[in-house]
Amino acid sequence: MNLDDELRSALQRQEPPPEFAERVLARVAAVPVRMPRPWFRLPVMRWAAAMAATVMLLAGGLEYRHYEGERAKAQVLLAVRIAANKLNKVQRKVQMISHRSNS
Amino acid sequence: MKAAACLIACVLLALPASAQEVKWNFDKLAAKASDTVDVSLSGGLLRLATKFLSDDDKDEAQVKKLVGGLKGIYVKSFEFKNPGEYTAADLESFRAPLHSPGWERIVGTHSTTDGETVEVYVKNEGKNITGLAIIASEPKELTLVNIVGPIDLDSLSQLGGHFGIPEVETEKKK
Repeated sequence: MNLDDELRSALQRQEPPPEFAERVLARVAAVPVRMPRPWFRLPVMRWAAAMAATVMLLAGGLEYRHYEGERAKAQVLLAVRIAANKLNKVQRKVQMISHRSNS
Repeated sequence: MKAAACLIACVLLALPASAQEVKWNFDKLAAKASDTVDVSLSGGLLRLATKFLSDDDKDEAQVKKLVGGLKGIYVKSFEFKNPGEYTAADLESFRAPLHSPGWERIVGTHSTTDGETVEVYVKNEGKNITGLAIIASEPKELTLVNIVGPIDLDSLSQLGGHFGIPEVETEKKK
């Protein structure tokens, strides 16, 4: 056999044995796949995200309550100022009249 | 007998603040006004405001004491571009709810100089004042105040001289 024939014989297409594909797939399925977890799916990161969300919600809530409180306070001061101003005018006029009638 | 008295007291205490709140309709005037001040504080918001009033600031401490027991504060003030934007009928519609039992007009003043009329009404429950209403009208301004809850008029008038309000000389100070 010359070299050409040897090469041809060695490189000729050979059909795989029967059940070859099934065996390969079975072995692939049998080997556990260990994919590295993304960082954001680590339990510690989940806890950290939950804590951060809670802190942000609490901070937001407190900030809004502070804003509401300051606004309400300003409204109370404005209302009292207006009411006191009107009462003051009445009081002044009544006193003026009583002074006049006394003198 | 005591049980009946307790029951009546409980019912009176349980009466909602709205029983003393004056129902005024401002829709008509609000449309005509060039400027409007609207303060409407009741329940939780009023309590929250009280918490934010400082004890260290003399004026705020006084206001805190004054509004501490209140159930509601409502102020509406309208400014108009021209005189005559509101009518006598409008004024009468604001007076109407104050003709109901319990309300009493304690003082009313009118100035021919600036055309300002101020009427003060109080709601009495026993010996206590549990509501205050003020109707102040000027040619180009109309202000309505309704304070719901036990209010000390002396304390309120003592706020004269604070917040830029000129102080009234009282007999006691002489």
